[in-house]
Amino acid sequence: MTTPEQPAAEVDRPGEAERSADRPEDARARGRGLDLPFRVLLTIGLIVAALLPLAVFGIIVIAAGWESNERAVTSLLALAIAGAGFFGLLVAALVVGSLTAPLRRITTAVERVAAGESSPPIHLTGDDELARLAESHNRIAADAQRRNAELAALLTAIAAYAPSQGVAPLLAQAERDARQIFSLIDCQARLGRADAVAREERIPGDPGPVRAEIRAGAETLGVLTGHVPATRNWGRADQDLLELFASEVGVALRNAELFGRIESQNAQLRELDAAKDEFLRGVSHNLQTPLTSIRAYVEQLRTTTTDAETDRRLAIVAEQSGRLTRLVRQLLTVTRLEAGVLRAEPEVIAMAPRVRRAWEALNATGATLELTDDARGWLAVADPDQLDQVLWALLDNAVKYGGREGRVEVAVRVDDAIDRIHVTITDHGPGVAEADRRRLFTRFTRGAGQPSGEGTGLGLYVSRQLLQAMGGELWLEPAKTSGGAAFTLALPGEPPADEG
Amino acid sequence: MNEHRPRRILLVDDDPNLLVVLAEQLREDGYDVATARDGQEALRRLDAGWPDLILLDLMMPRIDGLALARRIKAEADLQIIVLSAIDTADSKARLLDEVAEDYVSKPYHYPELRARIQRVLRRLGDRIPRQSLVLGPNLTLDLHRRAATVAGTDVQLSPTESRLLQTLAANLGDIVTTETLLARGWTETEEADPSYVWVSMRRLRQKVEVDPGKPVHLLTVRGVGYRLVASRDDA
Repeated sequence: MTTPEQPAAEVDRPGEAERSADRPEDARARGRGLDLPFRVLLTIGLIVAALLPLAVFGIIVIAAGWESNERAVTSLLALAIAGAGFFGLLVAALVVGSLTAPLRRITTAVERVAAGESSPPIHLTGDDELARLAESHNRIAADAQRRNAELAALLTAIAAYAPSQGVAPLLAQAERDARQIFSLIDCQARLGRADAVAREERIPGDPGPVRAEIRAGAETLGVLTGHVPATRNWGRADQDLLELFASEVGVALRNAELFGRIESQNAQLRELDAAKDEFLRGVSHNLQTPLTSIRAYVEQLRTTTTDAETDRRLAIVAEQSGRLTRLVRQLLTVTRLEAGVLRAEPEVIAMAPRVRRAWEALNATGATLELTDDARGWLAVADPDQLDQVLWALLDNAVKYGGREGRVEVAVRVDDAIDRIHVTITDHGPGVAEADRRRLFTRFTRGAGQPSGEGTGLGLYVSRQLLQAMGGELWLEPAKTSGGAAFTLALPGEPPADEG
Repeated sequence: MNEHRPRRILLVDDDPNLLVVLAEQLREDGYDVATARDGQEALRRLDAGWPDLILLDLMMPRIDGLALARRIKAEADLQIIVLSAIDTADSKARLLDEVAEDYVSKPYHYPELRARIQRVLRRLGDRIPRQSLVLGPNLTLDLHRRAATVAGTDVQLSPTESRLLQTLAANLGDIVTTETLLARGWTETEEADPSYVWVSMRRLRQKVEVDPGKPVHLLTVRGVGYRLVASRDDA
């Protein structure tokens, strides 16, 4: 922060001037070859001035008295001279004292101003050089104090400027503040080119025009103009302070402008987000509504039909509409994942029965499930709907890529050291090609050699994202010589609980 | 529970195909079903008499399902199951907690839907308190928004945890058997067993007790079930 230092230097300047005025005198004193304090010099001067004529007079009288040889007269004269000498010294001391006392007061006051402290005015009677010196000190001290107060008010005003206020209110606020801080009669802050506002001539006796460019860095944003009372002396330091204020206003205005831009962009984004949400809801509704009717009618028909062939065909309709439903759900999940709005409602779930149910929902004709459960009593902690999506995707993959045999092995087990449940799904297909292993969990990745029409390429990506959001993980087991792909999903687990 | 009178269900959905088939399915299972195509029709039906349960779609013309559910809840504490294509991950789903007892996403699986309906009807006695239930200096339940305040901290409850606490709160101070909790918390289609209750209770204790090792609100009655009690004890 350089801003507070700069005006501080400005305010110091009067004191600086005082000190620098002292210096040439010092130099002159040194130039005289006498490096004695002012007081001593004055004293010596006075003593010399007072005693020299007396001494000359005394010597003449004593010399004359010596001639007359009247000892009594001589000693009386000597006493008188001594008395006059003493009196002269006394007067000299008093004169020196009365001369240096006001000087000392002025010096102390100047030093206080130089140190940045406030200094009460010095009252000296008379119209001599000392009184004038005191008066000019008083004026400098009052100026310094006024500028200090202005600076304090300025800093307070600047600190209150918030970007959220907006440009126009900030401009109005800056006008009010400038009027108050600098005791201006009027003040206008305008945006645009600085030279668009004509410079005013200063006419003695009229209010004095003041002006400062509103800048943010190198760029001029506008100009601040106003008038000071005719009686007010507008110095260099005052101008510097006004320019400092104008540049701070410029920075605040620039921030407000940027803030406004961000705000409007945010509002736009929010609108877009809401529109996207509404769109997704519509898509979901429009796809799921017909599917709901189809499935409901098929379910109802299957309970009433007695013809085996009809039932077989209805089963295919049910299976296909089920597949379509899962696809729509997966697509919606992807968009929610991307938007970061997906949330999980964790519940406790026995894993093996859940796997079996997911398998049954898949209705994979021709494929068989071999389920081994080594996690009896343990319950997984997961969002049931999201876990179903993961299981459908993994089991569906195992069936799709599992080769002609169509045998899918699922092993549920527990890692009780870290309270996790692992489910490994193994197929007997060709396995995952080395080239595919790394990008397997990215979007739109399908197994090599698979027709592009198979699957969405989203299953593994969605599954891993869902599991990670539930505090779990999904990975591909190292390739085995026997072939086949094995995926393992891990989820937090709860150990069996005794009652209570 | 009155087993003689068939349970009445009001079905509100803008898809006429669904209304026909779902009404038939429900009637086959012995329910007394009325249907409405939109919110206004639903409100007219309600004027004629209150059902035990309302099955409601969220996306409907004229009156939005959520707005309708709020209007119904403002007038009467009727049980509502939302049946909608919006899934639980939707931002709107969160708003359902305050109005709906349960949520089934479309396309539904009828046995699953029936199981949910049965569970809600079983819980008819366990009305969700619409206001905060203060159980002690360190525990306040806000079941209408599926939350609890534990020692000044807001804790979210899962749907099942909320259902279990509802049942316990409806019988405040009394023992609720593990079997009852199992029937209130899960449906038949979920193949749940008593260990679900035990583990869920342990998890609930972690959430709502200041010291889960020394519970003061959620107490076990060995061999029988659980009790929810108010306690001045802040330990």
